[in-house]
Amino acid sequence: MNDRIGEIIETSTVDFWAESAVLHDLPPLGALVAVQLPDELTLYGAVAFGQTGGIDPGRKAVRRGNDDVYDAAIYAEHPELNRILRTTFRVAIIGYTEPGGTPRHHLPPCPPPLHYSVLHCDAGVVRAFTETPRYLPILAASDGEVAPEQLLAAHIRAVWRGRGHDDAWLAAAGRQVARLFKRDYDRLVTVLEAIDPGDWSLPPTDNRLNGHGGKPIGTAPL
Amino acid sequence: MPFDFAKIASQIDELTREVPRGGPDEFAPLRDAYAEIDAGDLVARITDGKNRHSWMPAIPRAGFNGAYPAPPPPTDFSVLATDGSFILPDRHSPARFYLINVSRVHFHYGTRPDAELSSQAELRYREHELQVDGRIPVNAAILGMRRAADELAALAALAGAVARPAVALQDGTLILWALSSQETTVQDWVLEDFLAALDDLRERGTPVASYISYPGGKDVTDALRLAVCDYPPRGLPINCDRCRAERAVPACQVIPPVPDRHLFAHIANLRPGERSEVYYSASKILQRYREHRIAFFYLQTGVEIARVEIPAWVAESPAQLDLVHGVVYDQCQRGRGYPSVLQEAHEQAVINAGERRAIETMVEEALARLGIVMLRSAKDTSKRSRFV
Repeated sequence: MNDRIGEIIETSTVDFWAESAVLHDLPPLGALVAVQLPDELTLYGAVAFGQTGGIDPGRKAVRRGNDDVYDAAIYAEHPELNRILRTTFRVAIIGYTEPGGTPRHHLPPCPPPLHYSVLHCDAGVVRAFTETPRYLPILAASDGEVAPEQLLAAHIRAVWRGRGHDDAWLAAAGRQVARLFKRDYDRLVTVLEAIDPGDWSLPPTDNRLNGHGGKPIGTAPL
Repeated sequence: MPFDFAKIASQIDELTREVPRGGPDEFAPLRDAYAEIDAGDLVARITDGKNRHSWMPAIPRAGFNGAYPAPPPPTDFSVLATDGSFILPDRHSPARFYLINVSRVHFHYGTRPDAELSSQAELRYREHELQVDGRIPVNAAILGMRRAADELAALAALAGAVARPAVALQDGTLILWALSSQETTVQDWVLEDFLAALDDLRERGTPVASYISYPGGKDVTDALRLAVCDYPPRGLPINCDRCRAERAVPACQVIPPVPDRHLFAHIANLRPGERSEVYYSASKILQRYREHRIAFFYLQTGVEIARVEIPAWVAESPAQLDLVHGVVYDQCQRGRGYPSVLQEAHEQAVINAGERRAIETMVEEALARLGIVMLRSAKDTSKRSRFV
C-alpha cells in the first residue's frame, strides 16, 4: 500500500474529508478509495465531493490572470499558490474488509483516524470489494453536496470501468438502482441514463484533472 | 454605557477639514522648490555644523529630483522575506515568558518556479531573555525591536541557503529609530544581532530592503524646508529658534505639511514603476549602524507611493539598487499593489486568537502538572468573566 492520494483531515462515522497530496489532483467523483486502519481493517468509500480553495478559509481567491498570463502560467508566476491553496475531497464510507478479507457492506465500527492516508484502489481491489452491488443503498443514503442519483451514477461508472467494463456487474447494479428508486421514476431514469455505457464507455484521457484516470496503481490488500 | 457616536461625528467633520486638499495654489511653492532645488547647496546646508534646525532632512545621495523607470527583474531570481509576531510577557500571569514567531518565505521565479513557506516559534523565558543586562525588563517596545533583529537574522540565514540573484525583503523600516531613546545596553542587545545580519547579507551579496506601504515619512519635504530657508542668502547660518523669534511666518512655511508620499505622487508625478532618487536618512540611531547607514527611495507601485529602505552598500551599488528596484516593483505587480512575498510572510507569522489561547492553555497545563495552580490577577479575572 504505497499509493497515497490524500490525508484525512476531518473524520466521522459516515464520511471523511481528505486533503490531496498534490494540488488539483484528486480521485474522480464516485471512485473507490481505501484507508488501512490500525486494527488491520481496511475501510472503503466512494469519492462524494471535491473542491479546491485557500488553506486559510478567510482568504478568498482573486483573479490573477491577464491577456498574457493565464491557466497554468498563473501558477508559474505565483509559485506560492501551490502552497496556499489545497484540494480536498469528501469520501462517503460504504464498508470495510476484515483481516481475513471478507467484505462488509455496512458502516465500520469507528471512524478512520485523522491524518491517516487515503489510498487508491487498483482493479483487483475494486473487483473484490464491489462484487455484489448490494451496498449501493448506503451510498444512495449519503447526505452531501452531490445529489444521491448523481453520486450513484458516478460510482457505478467508475466501478464498471475499474472492473474492466464488466457488463454483468453493470446489469446487477442497474437492478439494485431500480429497487432503490422504485417509487421515484424520474430519479431512476436519471441514474439509468447516466450509467448507460452507450455514451460514456471511453476512458477519461486527462490524467491530471481526473485523478489517476483509471490507471491501475496501488493496492488495498483483500 | 454604549459608545457615543453622535459626539465624535461632528469632530470627524472638523478633522477632515484639516487634511490638505492639494489645490494647485496651495502646492505651487512645493512644486517650485522641488523643481529648482540645488542638491549641492542642500547638502552643504545639511552638513554645515553652524546651522541649527530641528528638521530631519533627507540627504540626497546624488541628485534630488530625478525619476528612474523600473528595470526588468532577472529571468531567474528569488525573493525572500521574513516577518514576525509575538506574545508579550503577561504581567497578570505567574509564568514569565514571551514568544516570538518568525516566518520564512522563499519564492523562486523563472524556469523552475517554486515556493517555500514556514514559520518557527520560540518561547523565551531565561533570565537574560526576560531582562536586558539583568535589570531592564523586556517590554512591548523593546520586544518589538528584538523581533526586528530576529527577523533580520532569520532573513540572513535564509539568504545564505538561496542562490543569487535574490532580494531579501522585510516589511516596515530598517531604521530602529525607537532605539535612540533606549539605554546603550538595550541598543547593544538589539543592534549586535541586527548589524551582524546585515554583515552576513552584504557578504553574501544579497541586497536587503524594507518596504513601507503608505509611508508617513517627511524627510524629503523637510529637506525642501531647509533648501528654501532664506538665512543662507542673507549670509546667516540657519537658526530656527532665531527665525521663530524674529518673525511670525518663517520662509520655510511655504512648504505645506504633507508627507513625502504626497510629494512623489502629486508633485514629482512618478509614473508606475518609477523610483525617486536615493536619499540617506538623518536619523540619529544610524550613527550606530556602522557601514550599514540606511538610505531610501520612493517607488510608484501603480497603486500607491511606497518607501523602500536599503543599507548604504545597496544604495552605492548600481547593480544591487537596480535589482531591488526591479524586483520590488515586480512583486507589487504580482501582489496587486503589495509585495506578494511580504503578504505570505505576514500570513505565516500571524498567531491568531485561537492559537494564542491554545498556547496559554498549554502553559497553564504544564504548570498544573508541577502542582502550580495558575492564579490570575483579580483584574485579569474580572476582564475575562464580565458580569453585570
